[in-house]
Amino acid sequence: MTTTAAVQVRDLRKTYDGEVEAVRGIDFDVETGEVFGLLGPNGAGKSTTIGMLTTTIRPTSGSARLCGHDVVTGARAARSVSAVVFQEAVVDRPLTGRRNLEVHAQLWGLSGADVVERVDDAIDSFALGDLADRPVGSYSGGERRRLEIARSLLSRPRVLFLDEPTVGLDPRMRVELLDLVDGLRDRHGLSIVLTTHYLDEAERLCDRVGIMHAGRIVALDSPATLLGAFGAEVLEVRVRGHADGVLSSLRAGRVAGDDAFAVGGTITIPLHDLPAARALRSLDGDEHVVAVTTRPPTLDDVYLRLTGDTLAA
Amino acid sequence: MTVLTDAAPRIVLPTSTDAGFGRAVGVLARRRLLLSARTPREIIVPLLTPILFADVIAPALAKATGTFGGIDYRSFVAIGTVGLLVPLSAVLGGIGMIVDRDSGAQRDLLAAPIPRAAMVVGNLVVAVGIASLQVAALIAASLLGGASFATSASGVAWFASAALGIAVAMHGAAEVLASRIPKQEEYIGAAPPVALVPWFFAGSFFTISSMPAGLTVFAKLLPLTHALALMRYGMVDHGGQGLHDIWGLSSVSTMAALSLGVVVLFAAGMTAIAVRVFSATAVR
Repeated sequence: MTTTAAVQVRDLRKTYDGEVEAVRGIDFDVETGEVFGLLGPNGAGKSTTIGMLTTTIRPTSGSARLCGHDVVTGARAARSVSAVVFQEAVVDRPLTGRRNLEVHAQLWGLSGADVVERVDDAIDSFALGDLADRPVGSYSGGERRRLEIARSLLSRPRVLFLDEPTVGLDPRMRVELLDLVDGLRDRHGLSIVLTTHYLDEAERLCDRVGIMHAGRIVALDSPATLLGAFGAEVLEVRVRGHADGVLSSLRAGRVAGDDAFAVGGTITIPLHDLPAARALRSLDGDEHVVAVTTRPPTLDDVYLRLTGDTLAA
Repeated sequence: MTVLTDAAPRIVLPTSTDAGFGRAVGVLARRRLLLSARTPREIIVPLLTPILFADVIAPALAKATGTFGGIDYRSFVAIGTVGLLVPLSAVLGGIGMIVDRDSGAQRDLLAAPIPRAAMVVGNLVVAVGIASLQVAALIAASLLGGASFATSASGVAWFASAALGIAVAMHGAAEVLASRIPKQEEYIGAAPPVALVPWFFAGSFFTISSMPAGLTVFAKLLPLTHALALMRYGMVDHGGQGLHDIWGLSSVSTMAALSLGVVVLFAAGMTAIAVRVFSATAVR
């Protein structure tokens, strides 16, 4: 089936000052209505990618299109179909929340009664009624983030970029915000590109994720498919000292396969079809083993397996 | 299976439209005005020094000097302080641009479907508006302090054109500085020389012909010298002595037109450079 992607990225690269390769040729599509996550630690290239897609960073080479508009040759058209919530607070703190919303709406081409109507709707939808006429400088981090998300939706964008939306928020605010972002799925035709280094967020929110490492996408699929590669359970073994020796012996005993990996003193072994009891028996009497547990795999496991080059066996 | 497509058809979008340059400038200027109104230091601080010059130093010097080239010295210096006020105001306004970039909404504006030059022009409109109010306040303070201006409609037009030109140019300089200098503390260190140094050479306290010959030549190259000579021509120096010191021609109106040309070219050039530098540095 051929589809029209809301976001198309082809061999996109960014090299800063001719030396620092922040993004090293990435490809992905985001379909209309899809929530797509870019995962990776700080420095993986996620924010640079968002910067190029929002036309605030100039690509070195490659191409990217938003609803068919090239982000370099049709930058203004690309900006007109998108909106972004940045990692840091990007607001006019001395102005009220309402004024921040109005400025954004007007810059995205709304005027007159449309501005008033959309701003009032946003204030109602995002429960900003008590805050709207206060200077944004007096908002908490969560309130400010809520305002920024409301602002980003004023123009009814086709593509919404959320760059690390929960960074710096307390746990309660984080949960509230995740619920809010989850609710955006219902908006017809809105595609969301979300960056995060919280893998649980991606697992909860995203239809597909691209895992970034050192400027490249090293895995791209649905969370379920990525997790499925590990089977239903993984065995986590904590050992005293270096884990490499224990991992080698587990491999020799055919308890661990090639996809098992060690990070520090912790070995993670995808069990696939291997019964947990058999794996546990094989560890009996090993004096290096401190603790053993079984659990379902997480995207952390996927990420560590794919990016821990020097850590994985 | 999803097949990636290389050339997706463009989607016609009814929900968001291009704001257009003029409209974007209007929105951005209103925003900048609201921000400036909430930081009164941007408006008040640049006024203090020129008013002190006009109302404290100039009257004292006037007692010692009396007239200067046939012009009451108090009035002569009052116009000279406009050459301090306008650059100082523009350059201090540049701090707001750095705040915008570091902790304000600049990145959201950069992601808006507007020409990025509109961001520079929006700031410029407000900077010129604030400078106009400040100049009016300074002239009023000078009048209260004893200065006298015998002028006509055309004189006011020469004065206003020169003040406007220098305000536009200095705003351009402030945009360039703010774009190039990463930190507010560094900007505060670098900006005053940009605003102050030309003022010392531009004939603010004395005619440029009073300076050593080498400095006179240098002064003639400064657009601020042309602006001050024009402003004086409009307000106090109807014989155009200041313009004659620059051009040495016999026709005052020709010299005034030439000096206005210099100021306008400087303003246009600095604005073009400001737009270019802003666009190049705001997008990495």
